[in-house]
Amino acid sequence: MDTLVASYGRPMFEKEHVEEDQLELYQPGPSLSLKFAMPPVAQPSAWLRAATDDHANPNCPIKIAHGTTTLAFRFQGGIIVATDSRATAGNWIASQTVKKVIEINSCLLGTMAGGAADCQYWLAYLGMQCRLHELRHKRRISVAAASKILANLVYSYKGMGLSMGTMCAGVTPSEGPALYYIDSDGTRLAGNMFCVGSGQTFAYGVLDAEYKYDLSVDEALALGSRSILAATHRDAYSGGFINLYHVKEEGWVKHGFNDTNPIFWKTKLEKGEFSNVTSELV
Amino acid sequence: MNHLPQAWGRPRDDVYGPYDGSYLQNDGPNQHSQSPIVTGTSVLALKFKDGVVIAADNLASYGSLARFTDVKRLRKFAETSVVGFGGDVSDMQYLDRLLNSLDIEEAYGSTGHTLNAQNLHTYLAKVLYKRRSNFNPLWNQLLVAGLDGEGKPFLASADLLGTTFSSPSLATGFGAHLAQPLLRKVAPDEETASKLSLEQAVEAVKASMKVLFYRDARSIDKYSIAVVTKEGIDLKQDEKLENQSWAFAEQIRGYGTQVN
Amino acid sequence: MTMFSQNPLMNGPNYSFSQTPTMASGANKEHSFYPYTDNGGSTLAISGNDFMIMAGDTRSTSGYNINTRYSPKVFKIGGTTSSQDDATLVLSVVGFAADGHALKEKLDAIVKMYRYQHGKPMSVKACAQRLSTILYGKRFFPYYVTAILGGLDEDGKGAVYSYDPVGSYEREQCRAAGAAASLIMPFLDNQVNFKNQYIPGSGEGHALVERAKDPLPLVVVEALVKDAFDSAVERHIEVGDGLSMMLITKNGIEEKFLPLKKD
Repeated sequence: MDTLVASYGRPMFEKEHVEEDQLELYQPGPSLSLKFAMPPVAQPSAWLRAATDDHANPNCPIKIAHGTTTLAFRFQGGIIVATDSRATAGNWIASQTVKKVIEINSCLLGTMAGGAADCQYWLAYLGMQCRLHELRHKRRISVAAASKILANLVYSYKGMGLSMGTMCAGVTPSEGPALYYIDSDGTRLAGNMFCVGSGQTFAYGVLDAEYKYDLSVDEALALGSRSILAATHRDAYSGGFINLYHVKEEGWVKHGFNDTNPIFWKTKLEKGEFSNVTSELV
Repeated sequence: MNHLPQAWGRPRDDVYGPYDGSYLQNDGPNQHSQSPIVTGTSVLALKFKDGVVIAADNLASYGSLARFTDVKRLRKFAETSVVGFGGDVSDMQYLDRLLNSLDIEEAYGSTGHTLNAQNLHTYLAKVLYKRRSNFNPLWNQLLVAGLDGEGKPFLASADLLGTTFSSPSLATGFGAHLAQPLLRKVAPDEETASKLSLEQAVEAVKASMKVLFYRDARSIDKYSIAVVTKEGIDLKQDEKLENQSWAFAEQIRGYGTQVN
Repeated sequence: MTMFSQNPLMNGPNYSFSQTPTMASGANKEHSFYPYTDNGGSTLAISGNDFMIMAGDTRSTSGYNINTRYSPKVFKIGGTTSSQDDATLVLSVVGFAADGHALKEKLDAIVKMYRYQHGKPMSVKACAQRLSTILYGKRFFPYYVTAILGGLDEDGKGAVYSYDPVGSYEREQCRAAGAAASLIMPFLDNQVNFKNQYIPGSGEGHALVERAKDPLPLVVVEALVKDAFDSAVERHIEVGDGLSMMLITKNGIEEKFLPLKKD
């Protein structure tokens, strides 16, 4: 009887525990954490997808910034990292000035493709883990270890709806120049050359045709830039500016954030490429 | 994750299953407490120079059935404010109990300091927002009428999603379409509302209640009306619509532009 | 099975034959409550050399109804008291108003706690990063809002940080968000960043010289904001009624309210 009363009886006073939320406001947790609010439904990932997948449903209510071309390749002088700078939410160009190369520390770069927030958050989290590694072990983390931290992390969220295709590029004394591809499925690959994003195929086309390991630094920078240019030309979801980095023994060097439009016309008019496009202004 | 250029970075069907857009709609069979059952219709309120007038009819409908014809949908809180409830009646009764315990708790804890209408509205909005975040909403739209911390007339709304807003005149449900234009004509902005007399405000609200009864099929001609001022609350729960005139009904032919 | 599903031999014809995503059939649907709505409205922020302006209309809508003509979307953040007189930051939120309000309360509490603990106001840069992590904390149950944060940076320059609903952010010169973003943003590209503006007679064809990106003075920016909203009101039903503006300079935050068309 008592159990029946306990389960069906009404408390003397009704209570809504809004105070707990208030307390949490004043004792916020650490800013980069692994604690996430979940929608209280049986299939959170299906729910999230219904609200955010702008490919399956162009009218979905929440549009997350997406779309990209990024590339990185190893060559004799280190690693070249190049990206475009466009972010799209559905058909809307949300930004033309996104910084898709994320400077994790002075020797490590990450690239951003897929959900912009996913990449920014998890690469910031990786930066924190790398710094902690340095403090604990008194030496810098290897690119292999850093990329593995990230891969293990996103693997633990597999199936929940993260979207990221990222590359970790860095030079360490133990490894030399090292390049890894990590995506939100948990894939982690070491390699010489990766192109990631909706414009990946166009970038691969140019890169594969011209790539040699023995490229000089200037040639390599030009090739990275030209591959991104090709992708911005053919992929509607890529565009804006070309963001170019060179990773060397001493750390990375930035080689500009340049508007594609003048570069395109320069490439066309001075080198005679893109001859499919007319330069007449009629 | 999809690697094909057209859908790059989007979820892949073979991993996430087919896209299920039903999460975005509210049709078909529903789970418990996911839709209102016994419902109250509009609540109206209008600010005037010394306070607020608020009114709601006394009907609780069960679908199209006028099920309970003597349900009071305005309640006092701590002799300072009045809350008007639209939407689900069981959730209204739960909120009523919740406010009773809040009232007792506040009376224990504080010395002579009572919650004003603004405080009450903040509390209710937080309860409603928390419930919606737990996907277990209280299916109501509330109007809170009273005075704010500075003794000025206060009127604000909170709904099942936790959305809040304030305006010189407010109306929930069908009233938002039918009565709000009439009330806005009397008080288009705060300044005009602050010059309205009690009589003008009561008259405007009563006229709006009448229009609602003419056209809202889920309404009844018995209603409650309350006037909140700093002198206190004057709550009348057994009013009847007066001077009804159905002459206009003769003119009605079908819908819209149809004339014959 | 997932790991084989891209293999046509295991699963029969695969992606190369079917490009469109499949939709769930009607059977066994979980019908759940839909927790979002859109309250319309638009916001806009422009930064200058020593100031920044944040603005938002004050209409709140649900569907074709106007809830109220005065529901500000621009808030001061992190003052020592509830009046926010000594605040140094502003936040605008547009989208689902209840989420926006919850987000504002949360950020305000955090910035206030920072102020009490460190004895100084939070920098706009630090606040921008913190806001990003707050938004990302609800990555799997997002706040349905587009936020813009504004303030003055360590060098006294105007700073505008814009966000997507799950927290990706970027510092920009200017940003429009909300219902009329697609009407206002192209105008801003042209009038603030001088996109597609060339110096007449400076060259032939592709050799035309772009107009130099000179920083705009406060009076010009203020006029741009008003023009942008007047234009948006003409062409978007969810924008109108009033314009609430915050002007941040080294002297603090000045609040302004201008009427917009109410039809």
